[in-house]
Amino acid sequence: MTGRADPWLRRFLSACRTGPSAVVGMAALLVVCAMALYSVFLDGRDPFDIVSLPHRAPTFVGPLPLGTDYLGRDLAVCLLAGAAPTLSVAAVAAGLAMVLGVALGALAGFFGGRLDDLLMRFTEFFQVLPALLFAMVLVTLWSPSPTTIALTIGFVAWPPTARLARAEFLRIRDLEYVVAARAAGAGAGHLMWRVILPNAAPPLIVSATLVVTTAILFEAALSFLGLGDPDTMSWGQIIGANREYVLDAWWPVAFPGLAIFLTVLAVSLLGDGLNRILDPKSDGA
Amino acid sequence: MTGYIARRLLHGLFLVAGVVVVNFVLLRLAPGDTATAIAGEMGGATADVLAAIRADYGLDRPLPTQLAIYLGHIARGDLGMSHYFNLPVSSLIAARLGPTVLLVASAQIVALVVGVALGVLAARARGGAVPTLVTAFTTACHAMPVFWTGIMLVVLFASILPVLPVEGMSDLRLRDAGWITRTLDVARHLVLPVVTLVLVHLAQYARITGAAMREVLAADFIRVVRAKGAPERTVLFRHALRNAALPVLTVAGLQFGHLLSGALLVETVFNWPGLGRLAFESLLRRDYPTVLGVLLCAAAMVVVVNLLTDLAYRLADPRLRTVP
Amino acid sequence: MYRFGRILARLAFALVLAAAPALADGRPGGSLVILSTQVPRHVNGALQSGVAVAIPSTQIFASLLRYDAEWNPEPYLAESWQVSDDGLSVTLKLVAGATFHDGRPVTSEDVAFSILAIRDNHPFKSMFAPVEAVETPDPGTAVIRLGRPHPALLLALSPALAPILPKHVYGDGQDLRTHPANVAAVGAGPFRLAEFQPGEHIILKRYENFFLPGRPYLDEIVIRYLPDVSTLLLAMERGEGDLRPFATGSQEIRRLRQVDRLAVTNAGYAALGPINWLAFNTRSPKLADRRVRQAIAYAIDRDYIVGTLHHGVSVAQRGPIVEGSPFFDPTVPAYDLDLDKARGLLAEVGLGDGLQLTVDYVPGLVEQQKNLAEYLKSQLKKIGIDVTVRTSPDTATWASRIAGHDFEMTMDTVFNWGDPVIGVHRTYLSSNIRPGVVWSNTQSYADARVDALLEAAAVELDPARRKQLYAEFQQIVATDLPVYWLNLLPFHTAYDRRLGNPPLSIWGVLSPMDELYWIKDK
Repeated sequence: MTGRADPWLRRFLSACRTGPSAVVGMAALLVVCAMALYSVFLDGRDPFDIVSLPHRAPTFVGPLPLGTDYLGRDLAVCLLAGAAPTLSVAAVAAGLAMVLGVALGALAGFFGGRLDDLLMRFTEFFQVLPALLFAMVLVTLWSPSPTTIALTIGFVAWPPTARLARAEFLRIRDLEYVVAARAAGAGAGHLMWRVILPNAAPPLIVSATLVVTTAILFEAALSFLGLGDPDTMSWGQIIGANREYVLDAWWPVAFPGLAIFLTVLAVSLLGDGLNRILDPKSDGA
Repeated sequence: MTGYIARRLLHGLFLVAGVVVVNFVLLRLAPGDTATAIAGEMGGATADVLAAIRADYGLDRPLPTQLAIYLGHIARGDLGMSHYFNLPVSSLIAARLGPTVLLVASAQIVALVVGVALGVLAARARGGAVPTLVTAFTTACHAMPVFWTGIMLVVLFASILPVLPVEGMSDLRLRDAGWITRTLDVARHLVLPVVTLVLVHLAQYARITGAAMREVLAADFIRVVRAKGAPERTVLFRHALRNAALPVLTVAGLQFGHLLSGALLVETVFNWPGLGRLAFESLLRRDYPTVLGVLLCAAAMVVVVNLLTDLAYRLADPRLRTVP
Repeated sequence: MYRFGRILARLAFALVLAAAPALADGRPGGSLVILSTQVPRHVNGALQSGVAVAIPSTQIFASLLRYDAEWNPEPYLAESWQVSDDGLSVTLKLVAGATFHDGRPVTSEDVAFSILAIRDNHPFKSMFAPVEAVETPDPGTAVIRLGRPHPALLLALSPALAPILPKHVYGDGQDLRTHPANVAAVGAGPFRLAEFQPGEHIILKRYENFFLPGRPYLDEIVIRYLPDVSTLLLAMERGEGDLRPFATGSQEIRRLRQVDRLAVTNAGYAALGPINWLAFNTRSPKLADRRVRQAIAYAIDRDYIVGTLHHGVSVAQRGPIVEGSPFFDPTVPAYDLDLDKARGLLAEVGLGDGLQLTVDYVPGLVEQQKNLAEYLKSQLKKIGIDVTVRTSPDTATWASRIAGHDFEMTMDTVFNWGDPVIGVHRTYLSSNIRPGVVWSNTQSYADARVDALLEAAAVELDPARRKQLYAEFQQIVATDLPVYWLNLLPFHTAYDRRLGNPPLSIWGVLSPMDELYWIKDK
């Protein structure tokens, strides 16, 4: 593995030169993470506190830079506080989706045959269900909390990863070095996790960024519909709660939407950049 | 070919049946009692009224019995009665199916046309500002939460630019007007929801078309066509695009499920009288038979669209057509 | 009220008839578009009287009586009514020539069927519980036999509470609760149901053979359902609706007022009497002593709630009976803001700092419920009570918590429904402590004197005596405070200024709109 780091680094640098999207995405994402950390560890203010009159217009400077919401809460504080739940829900959801997807895809691709048939039927079954509606039902089933929402999103978001992982395992398992390892007496577990997975990793890592964006957008949609956890200040929640008043005050809807947009864009750009770095075929570079 | 279709149909039925069973179980395990929801609407009810409601709807029977009752009804094409409206779920769905199909189909077609056009534009330019701009635009659109885009359009068109209706599917005051007026009215109402959905789904089509076109344009046979002196338009549309159509088709099929999810949010934002809003509002009312019905219907739609995509794929790809 | 009806019934009817053709400034015909957020499940008001059902139900079904803006009964299907001296029977003479939308005449058989059907199916059991039988000596006369005097009966005969159903349609042996005609209704009201599109719209057409001559004036009423307020507001601003009943949010009311075309009023909700209150679980050891409840009352600033939190759109409510009702006692203790007194009361009980309480609220009504719960949290902190706001994801969850007595304090909204017997007694009678039932006596309040007073008031025929009984009742509960009343929900109606006779009686839009008309363009 270490032997490969060098060409990766070179590719990274060349990718930064050819398309700066990865760097931009990474930087933007770091900013959002910093916001989340700041709100969690440094800023003790409760975003639910009513600090002023409702619907103060944004001034962009001064004590209430982004104005107040329908109750008179500081929108800037709400946005800062919204970063942490949004990111952590997305991270947990994406993690779960990746684990589920890779595990099922790997088993299906590696063993093939009956197991493959069974697992793919299972995957297809999940793909047929309209994911958002399914997630809405699941969230209603459990009482909404950041944990249940993250688990729900992870639970509905894994099928694309499973298909990708299956395809990769199917492709790699018959490559020469795998056959050689098998001939040398390596067990199935060793082959799957130590031999095939590292080689299947690049496209999976790229697809992980896609899963993260899906998770962020799903969390926002659920909160917007009022199915999220009402005691958690997430960006979707702010949009949903303020939507009724949007014709009087656009800012409590516009700013959290922008925050979601920029975060999703950052992750997409990161994914794009990673794709160029990890998969030399994807670009002429 | 017939055998293939039959196999695919059977497979689809199997998937739909699975959807029925799993969702039934999930929904019946859910907290929030239908009887209380109904009673709440009544503004206070006594214990015996609650008990009567439970008995009426079979809510007091064991779960497997309820499932058996439900499956028996489904087999006869009966999706059950809505707890809330006490009307057949199938009639509720029938009333909402049209608007959703109209919305999703319009969005799918517009997204395909515009997305492919952008992809061709980007591929033809080969370097320079155009591909970058196309990518930037579509990527940005793709990153926007669909409901937020919708709300922002509502704000824009409600007060600043009041030229298009921002809610509903038709103006009830025009319901006695001629069919041309009514069609135009629906078309006007359709604009903003469709634009919202299209913006989000452009990126996939543009990206896939671009990539496929670049690959095809680099192929030898295009060089031959060009060498024969064919005009650029013929090269692009007659030769290159036709060969790039397959991956686009695949993506269109895969996108359909996402489009349905997006439509659910768009319907909520624009008050579009479709299945998504029916499902959402029914979920809030704990009207399980209706939610189940919509889920089943949506899954069936995805299965049908996948099947059609498969068939179209077979017809479009000469290599697959010869395979029995 | 009783005597008024007995003496003046015929006179009133004559007056109504005389007033009817006077449409000097109006033109018959035209369409009215009502926008509402409340989606009805069906349109049969015999099964439930929620706002959603009652708007269409009162247009489709006629009732025996209707009410003006001053709580006076007026003839409707009954052209006169006579209460026997012992109060045990009421004889109603039906108007001649009234027919249902299918052309069949309205007879006393239909009246008997309807009243018994409502008694047996409607959740407001107290409306017709004393009814033992309805006799039909001839097709034009119905006699209601009561087991005990029941002065609330006349209000219970209102359009929103007692629609007269055709027996030949609804009495066919099917269960009324799931009867197919609940969504394909046949009544004798001014409008017939032309289209019922669940969750979308209802279209009502003028019934040509309506029994009041010349009425209704309008050709049709369209009720459109818009699930969220912002969309509805937009449609009103764009002129897509003519009437918006039950506007509740201060923002919405303010914006409706800015539309030149619209008149906005809070008249038309007196009978509904929607009280917003804070309920206490008196079984909770922390709240069992009434001094704790009084302390909380003293710490709450009703003026601030009404003036600032509700931006002046709602009005204060000091007791269990709405202040607009003839039975309201204005001398009940008001608990004006007094933090020192509140702290003193807590100290007396031995509860200094550190009392911890939870408060629930009905999700959905943000400004009336959630915001007040948040306000309580910050306000009660000032007297050393630490309040946790408990959120319910949906109304059903909230209802099951409260019905199961799993709460300490909760915000709630409960309607008076005209007569105290219908909407007030249920909260305070110890016999109505029924776990599992929301909007019963979930406070577990039990006071023998209150029980006796309410039981006496339920059968007291003399309005003055009845008023006295209710006055004493109000004094006791306002001291014991099983609930603390905050304000009336600021229900408002916005209607096009060109509408003549807008629905502003005590039942407002939950009453037939046969008199409504469009004023001629000048």
